[in-house]
Amino acid sequence: MSLISSPFAKKPTSVTELMLWVIFATLPGLFALVYFFGFGVIINLILACATALVTEALILKVRQRPVLPILFDGSALVTAWLLALALPPLLPWWMTVIGVAFAIVFAKHVYGGLGNNLFNPAMVGYVLLLISFPLEMTSWLPPAELAQNPVNFLDAVAYIFTGTSMAGEPMTATRLGVDGFTMATPLDHVKTELAQGYRLAEIEKDAVISGLSGSGWQWVNIGFLAGGLFLMFRKVIGWQIPAGVLLGMIIMSFVLFAGNSDHYLSPSFHLFAGATMLGAFFIATDPVTASTTPKGRWIFGLGIGVITVIIRTFGGYPDAIAFAVLLMNMTVPMLDYYTKPKVYGHKVKRQQGDTDAH
Amino acid sequence: MERSNYKSEIPIFEFHGGIHPKEHKLESNQTPIQKIPLPQQLAINLKGQAGNRSLPIVNVGDKVLKGQVIAESDGIFSTFQHAPCSGTVVAIEKRPIAHPSGLDDLCVVIETDSKDQWCELFPKKNIHELERAEILAHICESGIVGLGGASFPTHIKLKRESGIDTLIINAAECEPYITCDDRLLQERAADVLRGAQIISHLYDDINIIVGIEDNKPNAIDALVDARKQLEMDTVKIAVVPTKYPSGGEKQLIQLLTGEEVPHGGLPADLGLVMHNVATCVAIYEAFEFGKPLVSRVVTLTGEACQKPGNYEVPFGTPVEHLMSFCNATNPGVLVMGGPMMGFELPNPKVGIVKATNCIIMAAPKELKHDHLALPCIRCGACMDACPASLLPQQLYWHAKADEFEKAEEYDLFDCIECGACAYVCPSDIPLVQYYRYAKSTIRNQKVEKTKADKARLRHEARNERLERVKREKAEKHRKAAEARRKAAEAAGEDDAKKAAVAAALARVKAKKAQQDDSDTKTESNDQKDTDA
Repeated sequence: MSLISSPFAKKPTSVTELMLWVIFATLPGLFALVYFFGFGVIINLILACATALVTEALILKVRQRPVLPILFDGSALVTAWLLALALPPLLPWWMTVIGVAFAIVFAKHVYGGLGNNLFNPAMVGYVLLLISFPLEMTSWLPPAELAQNPVNFLDAVAYIFTGTSMAGEPMTATRLGVDGFTMATPLDHVKTELAQGYRLAEIEKDAVISGLSGSGWQWVNIGFLAGGLFLMFRKVIGWQIPAGVLLGMIIMSFVLFAGNSDHYLSPSFHLFAGATMLGAFFIATDPVTASTTPKGRWIFGLGIGVITVIIRTFGGYPDAIAFAVLLMNMTVPMLDYYTKPKVYGHKVKRQQGDTDAH
Repeated sequence: MERSNYKSEIPIFEFHGGIHPKEHKLESNQTPIQKIPLPQQLAINLKGQAGNRSLPIVNVGDKVLKGQVIAESDGIFSTFQHAPCSGTVVAIEKRPIAHPSGLDDLCVVIETDSKDQWCELFPKKNIHELERAEILAHICESGIVGLGGASFPTHIKLKRESGIDTLIINAAECEPYITCDDRLLQERAADVLRGAQIISHLYDDINIIVGIEDNKPNAIDALVDARKQLEMDTVKIAVVPTKYPSGGEKQLIQLLTGEEVPHGGLPADLGLVMHNVATCVAIYEAFEFGKPLVSRVVTLTGEACQKPGNYEVPFGTPVEHLMSFCNATNPGVLVMGGPMMGFELPNPKVGIVKATNCIIMAAPKELKHDHLALPCIRCGACMDACPASLLPQQLYWHAKADEFEKAEEYDLFDCIECGACAYVCPSDIPLVQYYRYAKSTIRNQKVEKTKADKARLRHEARNERLERVKREKAEKHRKAAEARRKAAEAAGEDDAKKAAVAAALARVKAKKAQQDDSDTKTESNDQKDTDA
C-alpha cells in the first residue's frame, strides 16, 4: 500500500544524528583517556569500529536486510565506540575483535537487530571479555605521570598486535609505576590492599590514589561527566537515568561509608573512579535496553548505582558498571509494565490483575 | 513568528508533551479573505459531516436557489444541507468524496448559473423570544456543524443544558499552515462574539472564554476591540503559548481549566462546551440574516500554490478548481487539512466539505512523504511528545504485532491521532498509521463480534424451535399411537387374556429350569420376569 497518512511534518532528527551526538560527547573523556593512558585507546577504537562495521554488514547480508541504511544508522559504531572506551589500552587486538563481534552478533542481531535487544551490546561484549580474559581485562596502565616507561604510539601498536614493544620488551615493563610496582586501577588497588588487611587511611597514601579517586581516573570521569551533561542539555539523553545511577551510588556508598569509613570508600571516590561517569551517561542511557517510562528510568538508574557499589565492595571484580547494567536490563520489561504513566483523563492507572471491588 | 505580548486574562495551565513544528502561517495570513469564482459544477457530499448521510429532497432537473434545502437531517445524527449557489440539479450519484481512501459516496451535483441568487431567507433576530428547542432546530436547519475540523453537528453538541457553566471558543488553531480562523478573527471578531452570545442564550448563566494561541497577535487585538465595541466585558480572552496540539479540545480544556476530560466522558462532564470561531460566525449568520451554512473559509497554501491566502469557498467546490485558480499546476502532495492531522487527497476532483479548513498544495519536497522507517530504538521521544500521556512506543509494538488487547490495555483509544509522536520519531516510523490500523481493526472486530453474537443467538433460537417442533410432533405421534392401542385393546381383550396365560406358563417353565438358584435370586428373577 502506498497510502500515506498524516503527519506530513517531521522534526529533522534522525537516529544517525543521535548516535553521532553520543560519539561527539565522549570526546572530552576520550582526550583524558588518551592523555593519561596513551594511544592504545585510539587503536582500540579504530579496531573496534572497523570490526563493528564489518560484522554488522556481514550479518545484515546474512539476515537479508538492507545493508547500507542500517549500517549507517550509527548504532553499531556507538556500540563499538563505548566498548572500546571501556577496554584496557593495550589489550591484545584479537580480544577487542572478539568482544565487538560478539556484541554485534549475539547481543544485538540474535535478538532481531537494533531496537530488539534486551541487553546492552557493549556491556555484553565487555563482560564476555572480562570473564574470559580476566588478567588482560584488568591490566590497566599507570597514568602517564606515574608511569616508569610511558608508552609511545608505535609501542602501543606493537603491544596490541604482538604483545611486546618495538624493542621486544614484554608488557609487564609498561605496567610498572615510578615506584617500581605494577600499577593497578585505583579501584583494583583499594580492593587488593583491603584484602590484605590495610585500612583505607593507609591505602590512600599510595601514589595511585590521589585527588577525588586516582590520578588520571578522576579526569577521565570529569571528561565523561562534561560530555554527558552536554548530551542532557541537547536532549539526546534524558536526565532520569544518569541522575538515578549517581544517586543510587551515592546512597549505597554513603550508607557503607557512614558505617565504617575505614573500610568502605567514600561516595566521592565511587563517583569519580572506574567507569562511573561513562556508565551513568553513556552506557546506562542506551535507549534500547533501558526503561522507557519516567518512573521506570529512575528505578533503572538507581538499581545500577546501588548494584555497582555492592559489587565493587563485596564482589570479586574491581568495577561493576557492566554487571549492574546487564542485571538491570533484565528488569526492564517488568519496570516498563508497572510504571505506566497516568493517561489523560484517567484517574489512577489501573494495573492488570486488579479486581474490581464493585 | 511574531508573538503577542497580550497577557492572558485567566491563568493558563499546561498539558503534557506537545511539539513546535514550523508554523508556515505567514504564507497565508497576510491577505484578507477573498471570494473565489464559482466553478461550473458543485458536488455536495451528503455525508459531508460527522454522523449519518443527509437525505436528499431534490430531484435531478430541479432548479435550486442558493440556500435552498437540498437534503434533510435523518433526525438522528446529521444535519441539513443547502444549495451553495443557484442552479440546476444535474445528478444525484456516487462521486469521489473527501476521504483518505478515495471512496465514492452519494453527492448532489449542481450545475451553477451565473446569478448566485439567494432563496428567501428568514432571519430570527428575536432570539430572546425563542424557546431552547426552537434555537436548536434553527441551528440544525441551517446545516451548522463544528467547523474546527470534526464537523460534529452543532445542535447535538448544544443539546445538553444541565450543569454547563462555561463556553470555550476555540481560536487556538494550532496546526501549521492553517490560518482561516486567524483571518476570520482579524476581520470579523465581532461576529464571532455575537455568535457566542447566541449560544449563551441556550444556557441560564454561562461564562465565555476565548482560547487563542499567542502567535495570532492581530486576531487577539481584533478580539479585544470587538469585545469593547459590543460591551461584552465578561468575555475572557485566554492567550495560550503556541504549542501543537493546544487546539485539541481536550488539550485546550486542560490549558484553560487545569482539568482533564474524564476517560470515556465529554467536556460537558466538566461543565464545559467548546465551539470553534467559524462555527460561531455561522450561527450568527443563521440568526441575524437567516443564512444557512453554504460556504466556509478555507486556507489555500503550500509552496505550489501561487495565490496563498484564505478564501470563502462554497461547499462542493472541486479541489482541482481551487488548484487551477491558484495556478498550482503540479503539486507534489495535495493535503486536505493541516500537515499534522490532514490526509492526502487521492483525487483532486473531490468537493470541499464542511470540515475542510485547509488545502495544502505542497511542492514535491515540502512535506515528508515516502520514507524508509528504521527500527524503533525505544528512545521515548514519542512519550515525551504525547499530549495524552500515552506510551506511543508500546502502542506501536502491540499494534505492529496485532496484539490488540494489549494495545487497548495501553489505552489506544485515548490517542487523539495528533501525530506529535510520529513528528518527533528519529526512526521515521509512521506511528499514527499503526494506531489507526489497530483502532479500525478493533472496531471491526467488535462489529464482527456483535454480528457473530446475534447470529449465534438466532442459530440457538432456531435450533430450539426445530427441537420444539420435533418434540411436539413426537408427542402427537405418541398420543395417536396410544389412542390406536387403546382402540385395539378394546377390540381384542380376549386375545390379550390368552396371551397373559401363555406368558404365565412360560414363566413357570423358566423357574423350573433354575431350581438351584437361591431364594433371593429367584425372587429377583421373579421380579425381572414381572418387569418384563
